[in-house]
Amino acid sequence: VFQGVRQAQWLTKTKLVEGLPPSVLSIVDDPAHQLEDYEERVKRVISHARLWDTTEAIPKREHYCPVLFEDLIHLCRLMSVKYPSLTKRMLARNYKIAATWERESILLQVRGLNGILMNSVAPIPPVASKEEILATEEHVLETFYPISPTIDLQEVNVYQELNSTGFRDGYPYSHPHTLFFLESANIRPNRFRPEQLRAKMLMFAFGNALAKAKVLYGNDPKVLEQPIVVQSVGTDGQLFQFMVFQLNTTDLVSGDGIKNLVWIDSDQKLYEKAQCISEVKKRVVTKPAGIYGFQPDTFKKFLALYLHGTV
Amino acid sequence: MAAYRGRRLLWQGRCWFSQTESAVPPQPADSLYPPVVASATAKSKAAKRRRLEHFHQRVHAAASVEEKLRLYGQRQRPKYMVYPQTFALNADRWYQSFTKTVFVPGLPPRAAPAAVKAPGVVAPEAAKAPEPAAAVAPEAAEAPEPGTAASAAAKTPEPAAGAAPCLDMGELCSLACDALLQESFYQNKKRPFLYRDQDHTPGPFLTQLVSTLAASLCGRNPLLAASSLDLKPEVHYYWHHGEEVVVHGHRKGRVDPVRFQIDDKPHLQIRVPEQLPEIVPLDSDLGDVPVIDHKPSKLPLFKKQYENKVFIGSKVADPCCYGHTQFHLIPDKLNRKRFIRANLEDQIEVVYRANGIASLFAWTAAQAMYQGFWNEADATRPFVSQAVVTDGKYFAFFCYQLNTLALTVETIQNNPRKNICWGTDSKPLYDVVENGSVKGFNDEVLLQLVHFLLNRPKEL
Repeated sequence: VFQGVRQAQWLTKTKLVEGLPPSVLSIVDDPAHQLEDYEERVKRVISHARLWDTTEAIPKREHYCPVLFEDLIHLCRLMSVKYPSLTKRMLARNYKIAATWERESILLQVRGLNGILMNSVAPIPPVASKEEILATEEHVLETFYPISPTIDLQEVNVYQELNSTGFRDGYPYSHPHTLFFLESANIRPNRFRPEQLRAKMLMFAFGNALAKAKVLYGNDPKVLEQPIVVQSVGTDGQLFQFMVFQLNTTDLVSGDGIKNLVWIDSDQKLYEKAQCISEVKKRVVTKPAGIYGFQPDTFKKFLALYLHGTV
Repeated sequence: MAAYRGRRLLWQGRCWFSQTESAVPPQPADSLYPPVVASATAKSKAAKRRRLEHFHQRVHAAASVEEKLRLYGQRQRPKYMVYPQTFALNADRWYQSFTKTVFVPGLPPRAAPAAVKAPGVVAPEAAKAPEPAAAVAPEAAEAPEPGTAASAAAKTPEPAAGAAPCLDMGELCSLACDALLQESFYQNKKRPFLYRDQDHTPGPFLTQLVSTLAASLCGRNPLLAASSLDLKPEVHYYWHHGEEVVVHGHRKGRVDPVRFQIDDKPHLQIRVPEQLPEIVPLDSDLGDVPVIDHKPSKLPLFKKQYENKVFIGSKVADPCCYGHTQFHLIPDKLNRKRFIRANLEDQIEVVYRANGIASLFAWTAAQAMYQGFWNEADATRPFVSQAVVTDGKYFAFFCYQLNTLALTVETIQNNPRKNICWGTDSKPLYDVVENGSVKGFNDEVLLQLVHFLLNRPKEL
């Protein structure tokens, strides 16, 4: 996606806010929501994923990225000791999403396998207040004339305008909570760069929210009484991108009116470097094997996004 | 004959010659002459024994566990690849003989007091547990059917968490049903790929079930709270057992140890930083190990030469170095319908047992090697792990206690200890899933699974 997040914003009629929303930040800062000695545990998790998990000396990204993700989710799930309603979450891998909308006479759709979705029984309450939502009316979406907003998008003939959340009716965990994207290709050109990853996260979060809105409120474009919030986390094993998306309106044909909101916290490093084999210069160990530059805040934000909606 | 022996000795001498010099023991201060020992490079039995001793000393004196493992598996020779999931007939008896394991049908009784709402039938269980050599492994194929039905029913009122309040089985049942329904009914999935049915529904269901159950039970079991959950880890173990005569080649006629290697990929595994408590004392004798008079290649087992790996799922530096529970998924090739079609119904249970015995032996033995024990330095404490083998619907539970690693020809002679494996037959968790509901959900199987997850050392 050429312009990255700016293009995605135009396509989904969204206003960008830097940093995470205050409700999530309050969970980050609240010491009651921490795991005991979580720093030690997270360091152990990173060492396990990056250093210890395979018989080879240096695990490849395709191997350590999913392992790191699984271990972090396992740590977050252990918080359900304190908050029993956290057991009401279910991870869904390999699920398919389909959402279609019209944007100034261009028909757009989001489809297919995207990432790992965490569903919950209860929806996340709206993050932005009513005033903020009304304030988005004045915001003007930036266009990048002369470049068309649909540049780099695949043009496809669709015969069925499909809107589906990926699950059947009656599914108890019906509210999409968080989407996880793992960029785990070994070669750098196969991975999305951080800007493109953020754009992808935005598009799919929007697609999930829109599909859910159409299921709940019908296909007519309108402003939603109860905005739908979907979170999204993308990582390549070291850098984390956090995003909270709030769908305020399904009226996307025109470019004015109430817009959707997205809060993005980008490029958070979990650790600086993972040294698998100790560096030895002239028979002296200069850098022993281990994890360097660990930043606990990134995990706190990850945990806060996980806990958001139940605390 | 002598010529062949000589060539082999010379080759071995060449391998070890360079290290022999450095490991000559220091002279005692009061003697003028070096100690009179057999030569290290001569073509004699004494020299061979001396070289072997020297190798053992090198491994004993290794600086770290990684170094010990490296020396242990340094020499690569053709070895039998033992597959835990195998279609071979009566493979469980063969695997028992390779690993010196006694199979005891039924699960061992738990010592912790109970607080579970279910009817109690504890008397037959207490009578079953100290059964001596009557529960002999060769009859295991036929006897477990009546035996384990009674023991499994008696297992259900078994003790759960010690002082904690009653387990809410209803909630855990609903979690399990939700996981099952999500994977099989609610999520829109395409049709399964050809012969890949296990990756479509049972695999994700097992992952979901274990992760949600572990998360909800970690309040009761602090060991789970410190555990590490691995998805599709690798477990490897290499060992020697027995002797054979080399059949063909330039080393024909020489006597070699029989080498085995297990390379296992469980579906899911939980590793913990502390060891599970022993079930029976180290030297208990609960039965006989079956003796198979044929060569291992008749099973069928095939030889290959590659790296001798010993691995529990993560490297030695990981603090979670003891195993708690493994979960195995039976592949599509070995599903029940195929066995029934081929008139081999009795082999269905053999598949589960062979998988349990081989995988758990490899895991516990690798854990013991990570602690520094090997066949010359036998384990001083038993290593216990558990496993659940399933094909998505039928669950079989296994418990293994490793008492001895000494299985080579020299060390097995004076070793009365045997490894013990307890196991159940496979039971269905549910009957069928239709229209968004699970029919015939079996609470006993879920209860057994919950007990497995709640197992922990007595101090915690």
